[in-house]
Amino acid sequence: MASLDYAYRRLVNTLGPERVARSEFERMVYSHDFATLPKVALLQWKLYPDFVALPQTTEEVAALVKLSDESLLQITPRGGGTGWYGGSVPNRGGVLIDMRKMNRILALDPDGRTVTAEAGVTWKDLEDFVESKGFVLPFVPTNAVGSTGFGGLRGGRLRDAIANLEVVLPDGKLLSPAPKADAGGQLADLTSLFFGAEGTLGIITKATIRVVTKPETSKALAYAFPDLPAAARFLKGIVDSGLEPYHAVLADRDHFVFERALRSDSPEPADLALVGLQGSKDDVADTERTLDGLAAKEKGKKLAVDVAERLWRERYNNYSARRLSRGLVTSYNLVPVGRLPEAVETAAKIRRRLKLNGSVQAYLVDTTTAALVPYVLMDDTRPSGGTALGFVKRMGDAAFKMEGHPMGLGLFLVFNLRKMHGRATSFISAVKAVFDPRKKINGGKTLEVWTKYPWPGVRAIPPQGMAVGLEIAAVLRRVKPTRDHFVRAYEHEKGA
Amino acid sequence: MGLLRDWHYIEKAVEIPALSEVIRESLIRALFVRDDRVLPKDLIADLNRLPPVTVKVKDDSEVRKLVRVLNGQESTVSLGLSAEDYHFFRTQLGVGRTREFGVVVRPRTLLTYDWIVPEQRGVQLDFAAYAEIEFSEDAHRAIAQVGATWKQLYDAAPAKGHRVPFVPTVPLDFAVGDGVYGDAPFGAYRGEFGAYVNALRTISPFGHRARVGFEEVANNGTAYDLLHATLPLAGEFFLPVAIALRLEAKPAAHKTLTYTFDDGAKLSVALDKLTRSSTSPDWVHLTDAVAARTLRPSAAAEAFTVQVSVSGTGTGLPAKEKALDTAMAGFKAKSPDVPNPFDVPADVYRKTAETVARSLFVGEVRLPAKALGDFLAKIRAFGDQSTAKAGAYASLRATGIVSAFPFFAAPKDRSKVYNLSKGVRAIASKVPGAAFTSRLAHLWEEEANFMRRMALLRSLKLTIDTAHVAQPLVAP
Repeated sequence: MASLDYAYRRLVNTLGPERVARSEFERMVYSHDFATLPKVALLQWKLYPDFVALPQTTEEVAALVKLSDESLLQITPRGGGTGWYGGSVPNRGGVLIDMRKMNRILALDPDGRTVTAEAGVTWKDLEDFVESKGFVLPFVPTNAVGSTGFGGLRGGRLRDAIANLEVVLPDGKLLSPAPKADAGGQLADLTSLFFGAEGTLGIITKATIRVVTKPETSKALAYAFPDLPAAARFLKGIVDSGLEPYHAVLADRDHFVFERALRSDSPEPADLALVGLQGSKDDVADTERTLDGLAAKEKGKKLAVDVAERLWRERYNNYSARRLSRGLVTSYNLVPVGRLPEAVETAAKIRRRLKLNGSVQAYLVDTTTAALVPYVLMDDTRPSGGTALGFVKRMGDAAFKMEGHPMGLGLFLVFNLRKMHGRATSFISAVKAVFDPRKKINGGKTLEVWTKYPWPGVRAIPPQGMAVGLEIAAVLRRVKPTRDHFVRAYEHEKGA
Repeated sequence: MGLLRDWHYIEKAVEIPALSEVIRESLIRALFVRDDRVLPKDLIADLNRLPPVTVKVKDDSEVRKLVRVLNGQESTVSLGLSAEDYHFFRTQLGVGRTREFGVVVRPRTLLTYDWIVPEQRGVQLDFAAYAEIEFSEDAHRAIAQVGATWKQLYDAAPAKGHRVPFVPTVPLDFAVGDGVYGDAPFGAYRGEFGAYVNALRTISPFGHRARVGFEEVANNGTAYDLLHATLPLAGEFFLPVAIALRLEAKPAAHKTLTYTFDDGAKLSVALDKLTRSSTSPDWVHLTDAVAARTLRPSAAAEAFTVQVSVSGTGTGLPAKEKALDTAMAGFKAKSPDVPNPFDVPADVYRKTAETVARSLFVGEVRLPAKALGDFLAKIRAFGDQSTAKAGAYASLRATGIVSAFPFFAAPKDRSKVYNLSKGVRAIASKVPGAAFTSRLAHLWEEEANFMRRMALLRSLKLTIDTAHVAQPLVAP
């Protein structure tokens, strides 16, 4: 391996000194993603990258990938850093490639109904841009982990909304995984492989995304229910009635308790369902009538239009509760729609049992699937903070029991891979072996767990070791005698 | 059989010094039509050889056992064959010699044409008798064994409270499995067949049951989405035995509206406008006059017929119909009474399918809706020029893309298929945004990115199927 100083000089020669960082502070910023990590993780992984590189063009990304053949440093690609399980965090240092300087929207093709953007563009910016041109995105993902999100019931999945990608492969060459024309998955379309890959197959530098004509009408509806299972039954009722709203989500009252602690003008805490409708005026009106009927069956109370519209406008700002506790852990699972009422109850039960502050949320993904996305608050500056990670393990186990599965593997949840895929795990592993036989891009994640130590015997740990660690965290959490009171502490602090 | 096998065969053939001078396209033609003026007789004999043994599958454990026997993990005795069958099996396959055996799945109905390279010395699986469908009680999904026909699924779903969202663009009597190892053109307005496949139950090349994807829920965020990347070629990576399908709730009301157009330009504008409107039908099926006459021999056929299936609440349907009428402006006539090709009794469907199957299909052309009228006119002219009257079936996608299947009234000999395919490709290549996706088109394509993707797929196949069981690759 080349010396770090030599590697730095080569990086600076490629990008210039202003786009290569190696200071302690900058490296620290990149040592975690959206999830908060306990400091003890530093014993196992070198979470701080050796260098942070900020390329501005695809050619620069390709040059960085080729450079790693000289320096033998691992490459970790990173987008907005909104992942939850360490997918964009280094495990052996190396070069972290931050894509956020590649943030140009390159072209809108109104005839072909696509927009092409670089990898660092945020979904919000892209959505605003296409809306200004009379289009909307058929699908907006909720996070970096999976490909579920807003618009699934009508617009399918993220992979249906992506017409093509530009990827720098581990050998430094460029690949368009799909043909130029829409071939419906034919002509050797490999795009699907990059969904869920968490940056382990190559570095996506551009995406061509489908857009649809702006709907005639958009409307948001919100209903308050007597309890969370009733809200879940309401969501199931939407699927059983054959309705196709743009999006349907539920959140428990605790979420609004946190919101209210942060902003006094937030809605009255209640177990709520929020539904976004799009379509022709008549169609939207008819769907609204049916939804009102479904909500009434579950004793749901329709909220004022301005409340619903406000909740809809703020749909992307879901985790402001993080400010209460300094940290937040989210568990992301897919469960069958038929078992959604049971799933939300289970999530609430696990949260209570582990004495955690948090919220249960869920939304419809398609006609068979709902995403169960509870979050819990944690304060990693306290000794007990890291034990909140046990919640993710317990939720994943519960999802398996309900014939669903957790989402995201990253650095922490690799032990779920075999549970998810059983004997097909070897098929999945074959993909990485074909694309990146030297494991130089984001290696030691998703399929296996590397440690920071290069010595035989301790280079990697059995994924089950991670499972045991998180299970211990859950047990410790359960035996912890007291419950955190983040809201009270926050209000006290604010008052002081 | 198998696209990757054919592609690999061609790639290897062009590496042979004596053949490398032959232009790739000429070589493909020679191999496809079995041209004995270009190719040695031995090679042609190889290409004409069919798998010596066909196994009619009744249970997936039989496939497991078979794979294990062919891998040498179990003895042929364990197959429990009668003495006569046992002898036949061993002699036909040449068991006991140093050979590799492949397993291929025979599609129930092939829309286009057979592959270039048949399985040389392996076993062909016939899943016609493996055809049960299990509907979920509490969710809108079903698990269909690969031999179950699409029509069987489509007809049985409503009684269980479900709706099958995808329909075949060309109404042939396809098995559900033909969508993953054949060329069945299933699709819906809102998505391709893959959007409705949650998982495949497969037998791995080592004889294990392996589920690719998740039967109860969607496959998202669980590492690489191998299911959808391999779906059109799944039979070349593993042996699919059942498909977990995502269905929809049976609607309270549904209706098929039929619009006729006398002008291709008006048709194109209407279809483009529909996909830019807020209306979202279940499926949109199109036929030209030739195809319409095949489907409805007793009715007078207009130049173009568009059938749109809409569903919703009883009160909401009139609004949807009104919106459709606006979007389809320019139509000549509209009728709510014309039967669609799918909602007919099974025997009528089969009979029509037999008639449809007599035509020669060359594969799918995907093109922007607004170019459809012009494209169909060119196909018609090409058919007249080639003395093979042309027609087309098509279906529309919400993305503004039409999936069109041109067909010709011509004998199905391989040279005719080849020449007509070439003609369709030439026409499609001149339409901006169009793609000809037939198997021959895959072999003709030499664009660098495509070649790279095919090479990656081949490597993936070789890494997954290290036992060389699922349609193993062969070289000349």
